[in-house]
Amino acid sequence: MRRLRAPGGEALTAFTISAARLVLGALFLGASATKVPDMAAFAESVANYRIVPPALVPAAAAAVVGIEITASLAILANVWTRAAAWVLAALLAVFTAGLSSALARGIDLACGCFGGSSPATWSTVLRDLVLLALAVLVALSARARTASPSPRPDAASPS
Amino acid sequence: MALLAALGSAVGVAANAVSPHPAVLGRAVLSAAEAGGGSCSMPASEATSSAPWRATRISVDEAKGLCTACLAGFVDARGPHEFAHGHIANAIHLPPVGHPDEGAAVAQLRAFPLVVVYDGEYSCAVADDVAARLKHAGLTDVRVLQGAWPAWVAAQGPAAAGMCGVCGLPEAKP
Repeated sequence: MRRLRAPGGEALTAFTISAARLVLGALFLGASATKVPDMAAFAESVANYRIVPPALVPAAAAAVVGIEITASLAILANVWTRAAAWVLAALLAVFTAGLSSALARGIDLACGCFGGSSPATWSTVLRDLVLLALAVLVALSARARTASPSPRPDAASPS
Repeated sequence: MALLAALGSAVGVAANAVSPHPAVLGRAVLSAAEAGGGSCSMPASEATSSAPWRATRISVDEAKGLCTACLAGFVDARGPHEFAHGHIANAIHLPPVGHPDEGAAVAQLRAFPLVVVYDGEYSCAVADDVAARLKHAGLTDVRVLQGAWPAWVAAQGPAAAGMCGVCGLPEAKP
C-alpha cells in the first residue's frame, strides 16, 4: 500500500528541523555568552548543584561553557550537526538530571542557565526537557539524512 | 562527538582565561551551603549587566558590626510567618506587599545612616525589590544582606535572633 504524503510535508519537516537547529544554537550561544564575563560566578552555580566534586568545579564549569560555545556554533553553521546535536542533548540531559536531583533534595539554588541568579524551579526542568527533545529531533534527522543520502543527479550519467 | 566535546573543553579553558572574572582552575569551589556563607552574592558582572536594579550587597560580618554599633537599620523582607519565627533583632518588617504604615517605617529608618534589607531567598530578589522601594522613598544608602537570613543564622548560631538586643529603634526623624 502506498503511503500518501501531504504536499509540502517534507518541506514543513525540513523547516521544523532547521528551526529547531537554529533555536538550539541561538539559545546555547546566548547562554554561553552570558557566562563568559563571570566564569567564577558560574563555577559557584555549578558548585551549588553539589554534584561535581569541589576540586573539579572550575574545570567542569569551563568545559560546559566551552562545549556550549563549540556545539552551538557548529549547529548554527550546520557543520557536524549530528555530533553537535547529540552533545547538546547530552548537556541538556545532564542539566535536567542535575536540576531534578537538586530540586528533589530541596536545594534552593540559582539555575545558572543564563549567567543570572534566577532560581531553579520545576518549570526550568520542563524547559530543559523541551530543548532536549529538540536536540534529539535534530540529531535523529541529521542521522537519517546521513544514512540515506539522496542520489546525486550526476552519479548515473558519467561524462 | 567526543572530538567535539574535547574541542569544546579546550575552548572553555580558553574562554575562562580571557574572562574578566575567571574561575580559578584547580581551586576547589564549595557550594554556598558547604561554605556556610549562603548565596545571594553579587556577580562581578553586575556593573555591566542589563538585569533589573540590584542593591549593593553587604557582608554578614560588616552588617553584624553595624548592628552591634547601632549604625544600621534592618529591614526584614520575608513573609509574616518567617518574620514571626525569627528575625534580626529590631528589624522592621517590610514585606513586598507593603507595610500598613510605610511612611512611619521609612521615617524610622531615616534615622540610620545605612539600611540593610534581607530576605530568605537565594536570589535576594525580594530584598532587592524592597530595597528599590526604600531608595525610591528617599533613603540614600540601602544595601542587601549577602547570604540572606540563612547566612545571618549560620554566622551567629542559635543566639542570632537575640543579636543587637540593646539597639532600640531611634525616634523617627520628620
